[in-house]
Amino acid sequence: MSILSYNGGCVLAMKGKGCVAIASDRRFGVQTSTLAMDFQRIFEMGPHLYIGLPGLATDTLTVHERLRFRLNLYELRESRKIKPQTFSAMVSNLLYERRFGPYFVEPVIAGLDPVTWEPFISAMDLIGCPNMPEDFVVAGTCAEQLFGMCEALWEPNLEPDDLFETISQALMNAFDRDAISGWGGVVHIIEKDKVTTRMLKTRMD
Amino acid sequence: MACTMNNSISDLLSPDWLTSEHSTGTSIMAVEFNGGVVIGADSRTSTGAYVANRVTDKLTKITNHIYCCRSGSAADTQAIADIVNYHLEFHEVQLGEAPLVKTAASVFQELCYNYRDQLTAGIICAGWDRRHGGQVFNIPLGGMCVRQSFAIGGSGSTYVFGFVDSNFKKGMIKDECVQFVLKTLALAMSRDGSSGGVVRLGIITEDGIERRTVLGNELPRFYED
Repeated sequence: MSILSYNGGCVLAMKGKGCVAIASDRRFGVQTSTLAMDFQRIFEMGPHLYIGLPGLATDTLTVHERLRFRLNLYELRESRKIKPQTFSAMVSNLLYERRFGPYFVEPVIAGLDPVTWEPFISAMDLIGCPNMPEDFVVAGTCAEQLFGMCEALWEPNLEPDDLFETISQALMNAFDRDAISGWGGVVHIIEKDKVTTRMLKTRMD
Repeated sequence: MACTMNNSISDLLSPDWLTSEHSTGTSIMAVEFNGGVVIGADSRTSTGAYVANRVTDKLTKITNHIYCCRSGSAADTQAIADIVNYHLEFHEVQLGEAPLVKTAASVFQELCYNYRDQLTAGIICAGWDRRHGGQVFNIPLGGMCVRQSFAIGGSGSTYVFGFVDSNFKKGMIKDECVQFVLKTLALAMSRDGSSGGVVRLGIITEDGIERRTVLGNELPRFYED
């Protein structure tokens, strides 16, 4: 039994036209037993910068706290909001520092550049290898299912409303094929002037 | 430290759905009422954490009036049910009339007890016969066989023992039994990762079986924020 599938859970992010979307399920469980249906694994790190941390739940909480600490110091020293690319490098560094005793999380980052408003997504493995594709990133216990759904549904330059539909369907149909993900969903659509957060009504099994 | 690293690496080389056995993780249940039984099951078959089949039928026919609910290894329970089906068909020909539910349960018990080290099978055998009416027999892992007014089984049953113990009443009529089974299975499916999908019901009486399927969005929902 892998330590990355002890608590279960999944996150995905997609690029759209002038926007990005990031979504996750809401289950918190211990192997097959579901303990909560309101677990937060996506965190706001800036007005247009979100990070999802699927994997071992204790490390989800700890990495979020340590990252927030480093980000706060950065923003105090630099007196500006961090760029998503820089933030991604910061997360990668934090994880690689623990190369031989890693945090069991596989981060997914989604955001807009604070100056150019360019959409940005990235994902990494548990020791910080970054991956910055042009389309979508997935992570979690149903990553394979998410890859299949995203590959089938994603197309470039989706408007925010269409991106919402696409990411929601990809997420829900993927975690319905995973015994340890699901039990609710949350989607954040990040645009230049607003961030829309929606809870998904899903099967609770 | 070495073990945990190896876990992540071997996880990448060979995901567990390639090597895990098919298991009907499951929530199953059967309730007696005057005139028959109500049987129910979820519809999820998992291979590790992957849901291999989300519309499984775990209510398997043994005779027209005797069915079994299967939990545990999908392969083991399918093989056992096939063998019991054969024995009962043969017995029915020899007997010249419909076999008794306790006969079917007894055949299940013989297989599950004598091959207990090689099998992972938790079975609920339920049905109706002319002599004793509706009966439910629970045959859990080691191969014991016990008649109960209602029985629950499978990995999801652990979450609902308290619920069934506090909500069961003797002398329920057919529709009350149906609602009892639906609520219980819905609760179990809501908590157990290995149970889910739709609820398959069977109502067995003198007239045979009436099968129903209750879809996910029609199931009772409980407290959620």
